Amino acid sequence: MPLTMPEEILLLMLDDKSGRLQERAAPSGDYAIAGAVIAELALHGRIDTDPKRLYVVDPTPTGDALQDRALAQIVAATEISDSRFWIETLAADSDKYREVLFERLVEKGVLKRVEGKFLWVFPERRYPQISDKEEREVKARIMGVLFKDEIPDPRDSLLIGLCRAAGLFPLLLSGQELDRVQARIDQVADLEELNRSLADAIREIYAQIARFAPMV
Amino acid sequence: MDITETTIGGVKVAALKGRLDTATAPAAEAKLVGLLDGAAKVICDLSEVHYVSSAGLRVLLKAAKQAKAGGGAFAIAAPQAPVREVLEISGFDKILAMYATRDEAVRGIG
Repeated sequence: MPLTMPEEILLLMLDDKSGRLQERAAPSGDYAIAGAVIAELALHGRIDTDPKRLYVVDPTPTGDALQDRALAQIVAATEISDSRFWIETLAADSDKYREVLFERLVEKGVLKRVEGKFLWVFPERRYPQISDKEEREVKARIMGVLFKDEIPDPRDSLLIGLCRAAGLFPLLLSGQELDRVQARIDQVADLEELNRSLADAIREIYAQIARFAPMV
Repeated sequence: MDITETTIGGVKVAALKGRLDTATAPAAEAKLVGLLDGAAKVICDLSEVHYVSSAGLRVLLKAAKQAKAGGGAFAIAAPQAPVREVLEISGFDKILAMYATRDEAVRGIG
């Protein structure tokens, strides 16, 4: 069964061996998951965007509980807002989204659930990978777009923007490769308004961190 | 959305009229992809399109991808200022052939 974009991005954010989320992906990973849910709604024709607005075009549920939860929230809103507002709003629920996505990846046979203790005291749940086929396929798709001068599919553009947002490219590519394809990453990602809004939202997170860091 | 077809010097021109968004994207995509059949050269005239959403932009991208894969050619012609701005913000002008007028587009890909 093919993975949805939220599942793909969560899988890429996971350290395969330890089954823990990559530290590098925090805190922008929550925004990337929210962005992935919105991206699926867009590709399923439920919402559309422009640089100023994200609006519902079809309130019919998709059949995917996570996407439908987000769609219901957007449908119920009394005012029309932009993509960035919705990325930030849905990211506030990212704990719930993550939990469901991990369970789905376990059901699909990609991950296994391991209950343990962190520092011998704190309960911890980890999700090590048991099948690397899905992740290899996702990575191959991304690399295919980055290293070939072809016009990308919308789904691949969106996924590349999500990876950029979650800071994953330094984990997927060597420094030399990253230097070579950084401009291409930006070109492909910026084709999608959602990716540009996501990048703006994440820049703001890091600006806030930089502002308050000297006080800590 | 109204789509008018003409052929100028062996180049097919699809003139779109109205909004290019989720509601009109499927019809526009079917039309453009159909015209591109057989390695054709196709121009999408946007002079009477006043709004393009993200879903609309994806249609243009898919048409350009189809043209490249099938050995044809695809170009955008005459976008109005607000539409051109959206195309430029998204960097579409770096990936797709874009011309200020229909005639320039015909000369460009003809």
